Amino acid sequence: MMEGTISNRIRILRFHNGEMSQAELGQRIGLTRQTVAAIEAGKYSPTLEAAFRIAQVFNVPLGEVFQWEVKGGQ
Amino acid sequence: MPYREKFAWLSLTAMVVTYVPYFAIVIAGYFPTRPLPDLHQLGLFALVSIVRVLILGIGYLYLRLGSPQEARTPPDERDLAIKSRAMSSAYYVLISGMIYVGCFMPFTSAGWTIVNAALFMIVTAEVVREGVVVFCYRRQA
Repeated sequence: MMEGTISNRIRILRFHNGEMSQAELGQRIGLTRQTVAAIEAGKYSPTLEAAFRIAQVFNVPLGEVFQWEVKGGQ
Repeated sequence: MPYREKFAWLSLTAMVVTYVPYFAIVIAGYFPTRPLPDLHQLGLFALVSIVRVLILGIGYLYLRLGSPQEARTPPDERDLAIKSRAMSSAYYVLISGMIYVGCFMPFTSAGWTIVNAALFMIVTAEVVREGVVVFCYRRQA
């Protein structure tokens, strides 16, 4: 099985969207502030639906929010 | 700290301050073995349960009044995932304990020993459940 990690650019996207707070983002996508913090820190992988919602809030494609990095850089 | 983590801490605390003394008294052999129903033992268990319910009730009110908005917020997908992980961990503890209590203990023990062993397994499963909840929130999983 191909192994890898999911990284995200939520912090940067929040910054570019008027320094949106984690609480505000959470409120708009139906998650708690703590869950947004966990996603941002890469500690929790959101469901596909939540991931799409995040991308929709920032008005960017999903791939601009989350990236899949294969272990070993292959 | 998330509201649900606070509640898990409250539940863990309530269990520790009630059931630890209870099982300590039982293990210390304070109650001599009597045939069922042993009202002394039953009375102690009832007292412990009432104290636990009181702690939980007061704590619940305190948490709810302390952060009413968080308390009203329905659990999100991460809360549900943590709950599910905690429940499945506790289930394995409970089922293992019940197999031991129900299938093996009747050959070696009787009466309140079996009842207390079953209670111990239930309490252990609850501790595991709340412990996993706290652990998951602590590591942000």
